[in-house]
Amino acid sequence: MSEQLALTEDQRDCLQEVVNVAMGQAGDSLARFLEVFIHLSVPRIRLVAKEDLGTELEGLVGGVGSKVSGVSQGFYHIEDGKGIRGEAIVVFNDTSFKELADLLAYDEELTDAAEKELLMDVTNVLNGACLNGIGEQIETELAYSPPTILGQHVPISDLLEHEKLSWGHALLVEISYTLEDRSFNCTMFLLMPGESILVMKEELDKLLEDL
Amino acid sequence: MSIPLLICDDSAMARKQVKRAIPDGWDVEITLATNGVEGIEAIRSGKGEMVFLDLTMPELDGYGVLEKVKAEGHKSIIIVISADIQPEARERVMGLGALDFVKKPIDGKKLTEVLNKYGLL
Repeated sequence: MSEQLALTEDQRDCLQEVVNVAMGQAGDSLARFLEVFIHLSVPRIRLVAKEDLGTELEGLVGGVGSKVSGVSQGFYHIEDGKGIRGEAIVVFNDTSFKELADLLAYDEELTDAAEKELLMDVTNVLNGACLNGIGEQIETELAYSPPTILGQHVPISDLLEHEKLSWGHALLVEISYTLEDRSFNCTMFLLMPGESILVMKEELDKLLEDL
Repeated sequence: MSIPLLICDDSAMARKQVKRAIPDGWDVEITLATNGVEGIEAIRSGKGEMVFLDLTMPELDGYGVLEKVKAEGHKSIIIVISADIQPEARERVMGLGALDFVKKPIDGKKLTEVLNKYGLL
């Protein structure tokens, strides 16, 4: 199955550029929201097996044991259940909350509830822009389910344990937003499982044919 | 005589999109670079009198290329073509000597407009 799911070099390059454009739009939204300059890096794309996901994510957000908080939001093709679907997961490292509260001139004590609110606000800003950006380019209207908190101050591998992962392999896209001179770092992961990858590959081929 | 034009972008798709957006009949000799290091090498060897430059790239990003071009005193005319649409990204590249900024996905009409604005066609 995983061979069938693997992206060709052209498809990977095409998806990376599609994500790059969407990331630019999301970065601009976040920059406006926080009134700062957001540093963008090249998005990373890989195919992961379910059993390797925890390790992959640990590697991407600062190693084993680093604590994070995360929000997940499902997205799916608006017309039927057979199209593109997946999850957008926004992850903050623990040091980011104080920075975030500072930037937003948040005076109150950073309780769990206050942190949840910050998480949700940033998730809404990023996901809206990024997913719309991807949808526009592949000419697919995406709908979203309400965001849910996956966990707060937990190792990233625990973040996803709560979920019933129903897939064997998924396409993992990593988009990183950082601030200069500050320790704020927020990573967005797009996870597209099994059959959804095949649909995405078809969409990418259409874009490549148009070139 | 054709103008040496360098397209510097890490994405093969983006390079093709930019190539396709080049106005018909513009007499250019195109060189492609897949990151900033390759880009600055091409500029040093005279292949980038005109440069279409991406910002987010591995090895050396577009900001790094602009800094090097400035430091080394190359006379390249550089137009940044990037998905980073933050107003501050535009200000920064203009401050580093870029002529203009065109957002991705690239629009051929927009590129022609910009080239016309500076009398480059």
